[in-house]
Amino acid sequence: MDTNKIKNIFTEGPVEASFIADSIAKHATKTSIGGHSIFLGQVRADMMDDKQVQAIEYTSHVEMALETMSIIREDIFAKYELTCMHVHHSLGVIKAGEICLFVFTSSKHRKAAIDACSECVERIKAELPVWGKEIFEGEGYQWKINH
Amino acid sequence: MIEVIFFGQLTDATGVSSIMVEEVANTDMLINLMKMRYPSLASSTYMVAVNNTMVTENAIIRPGSKVAFMPPFSGG
Repeated sequence: MDTNKIKNIFTEGPVEASFIADSIAKHATKTSIGGHSIFLGQVRADMMDDKQVQAIEYTSHVEMALETMSIIREDIFAKYELTCMHVHHSLGVIKAGEICLFVFTSSKHRKAAIDACSECVERIKAELPVWGKEIFEGEGYQWKINH
Repeated sequence: MIEVIFFGQLTDATGVSSIMVEEVANTDMLINLMKMRYPSLASSTYMVAVNNTMVTENAIIRPGSKVAFMPPFSGG
């Protein structure tokens, strides 16, 4: 695995279900894999004081985010016995119900894939310079806060 | 020149996402300059990165650098 090359993780718009399915299908030839773990982040239609979130607009300090992601990737490959890891994060306006984050890890045995996937998601949320603007139905917005 | 870029809710405070400023020696001086120009920055929470590297203390800014003002991250 090339773990230290800077890879793009950003796509404009939502992560489509068909893209996720294709991504799974591509692993059929990697027969040393015994387990996959997938995390999908979906935009939630939160209610805030009678206003409903209809979409989140994501922006990023892309250059810095990709450098940070490459460090996270190296750390995770050093820590877990992974066969491969794929990360896709949306930019732009993602409507409620659409997928904005796709993390996909694969390993020989399930535990490495599950733990790596979970750690990767936590680190993405904590360390990547990405911001979500929650756009309300009608008008107005508020800036997303990660918990 | 130094390129200063603002992200997330900080763009509400500044009204711009990027500006060019004359050379400033270090991040403390730049932060003070930005607070004077955009007073509502003073009440904002942010981190500063020089050329994609986060700085926690006063750091030298070389000409041609890119300095990012970033509020808490909220990706995913």
